[in-house]
Parts: sequence; structure tokens; C-alpha cells
Amino acid sequence: MKELFPMKQVMGFVFSILLTTIAMAVYFLDMTITTGMTILLVTAFIQAAVQLVVFMHAGETKDKGAIYTNVYYGLIIALVTVFGTLLCMIWGYI
Amino acid sequence: MKIDNSLPLEYSTDENSNKILGFWIFLGAEIMLFATLFSAYFTLVDRTGTGPTGAEIFEITPVLIETILLLTSSFTIGLGIHAMRIGNKKAMLAFFTITLLLGLGFLSFEIFEFVHYVHIGAGLQTSAFTAALLTTLGTHGAHVTFGLFWGLFIILQVKKRGLTPETANKSFIFSLYWHFLDVVWIFIFSFVYLKGMM
Repeated sequence: MKELFPMKQVMGFVFSILLTTIAMAVYFLDMTITTGMTILLVTAFIQAAVQLVVFMHAGETKDKGAIYTNVYYGLIIALVTVFGTLLCMIWGYI
Repeated sequence: MKIDNSLPLEYSTDENSNKILGFWIFLGAEIMLFATLFSAYFTLVDRTGTGPTGAEIFEITPVLIETILLLTSSFTIGLGIHAMRIGNKKAMLAFFTITLLLGLGFLSFEIFEFVHYVHIGAGLQTSAFTAALLTTLGTHGAHVTFGLFWGLFIILQVKKRGLTPETANKSFIFSLYWHFLDVVWIFIFSFVYLKGMM
């Protein structure tokens, strides 16, 4: 039974529950929008990284380089899309 | 076909490792798809018109339950892949079944949530905010729905054919898809719900 629950994955799960709990603080505690957004950004991206490395086995084979390049590329396009849109649709008019 | 036994079954042929790399490229495209949805949502989040705001319609309890269900399902499918790698087909199928049941639980909550929103007058056509919200959530929910059917067929195939390089490869790719849905949900949970209720 024990060999079905590898330590690495159990720890990954515990860690992601912990990160969710930390993120919940922005709801239950009173804080400024800047502090809240910082907490959410940090916990969300760490959480995504945990999934990628622990559960999705991103760095296991010789394709490691190609897989990470592709993920980073997707991520850069995603961030440019989101922040570029915010810049030209909202922040530019404040 | 050349089978490399030093690698896990799902990577064991060139075709298999190419399929996995190809699926990662698809996931890169999915990241960008959800980025456009998030862009639209962040742009329109304050355009509520005469409709309700996020803070008025979001409820913490169902959202938290959905998050726990999806996080746990991501964990169990990870255990399923681990069981597959040590060649334990029975445990693998059990973990995959638990994963799909948790996914079904998640989906039930989400459907209930959608019905509730429409019921309180926050439908797709109420305001720019509700339109962007329901499109973003709906796209994720549609992915989960698709994943449930996909996973079901994977389970049936493994049951019938056993663990071969082909079925192991398909199962592994499905696990990547499922983890990805969890990643997207983390961002929805943080930047749609928690930010909206902050």
C-alpha cells in the first residue's frame, strides 16, 4: 500500500493545500488591494509550478528543454496578452 | 518498433515521446487561450451595468469545495500515473476512477453554481461582466466535461488491453490534460473569485 503513495507527490499535495489556505487569507483577513494581489500572484504561480514539476513530470526526459521552452513561451505570450490588454484598455485611461 | 526499456512505458518508443512533447505544445496553446479569456474578464470586470457585481454573487463555500475537489483529483491522477509506472494496473484504474468521480463532483457544483447565477439574474446577457465571467468559467467547465468522457474511455481501454506502451502513453497524456485543468482553476480561483470577494 505504501508504495502507492510516493513521498514527493504527497508532499506536493500537502504543499498545494497549504498554498490554497494562504490564498484564502485575502478573503478572511482585512488587507489592502496591493497586499492581497501580491499574495494571490505569489501563491498562484508557485502552485502552478508545483503542478508542473511534481505532478506533470515536466523535467524527466531528454525533451525537458523543449517542454520548458514551450511552457515559458506560452507563459510569456499569456502575460503579454493579459497585461497588454490591461494597459491599452484600462490603465492607459486612468 | 524500438522499445527503450530504460524509460517508463509511456515514453518507451520514439512515437510515444513525440506524442507527449506534442501534447505539451497543445497545452502551450491552451495557456494562450485562457490568457485571452482572462484578458477579457479583467477588462470587463467592472462593467456591471445594472447587473450584480462579483462581490454580490460569489459565495466562498461552493468555490472552496470546488477547489478542494479539483486539487484532490489532480493528486489522485498523479498517484494513478505512479501506480501505472510500477505496473499496478488495479491501483491505477482505482485512482483514475476516483479522479473522474472527483471531477464529476466538481462539475456538479459548477452546474449548480451556473443555475444559481441565472436564477438570481446574472445570466450570460446581463452585463459585460457576467458575459466574461460565464464564458471564462464555462470554457474551463467544458474542458472538464470533455476530460470526463476522455478519462472514461481511457479507463475502458486500459481495462480491455492492459498496460501497453500505447495505453500507458494515452493515460499519461490524459493526466497532463487533467493537471493542466487544475492549473487553470487555480488562476480562476485566485483572480476571479478571491480577488472578486476581496
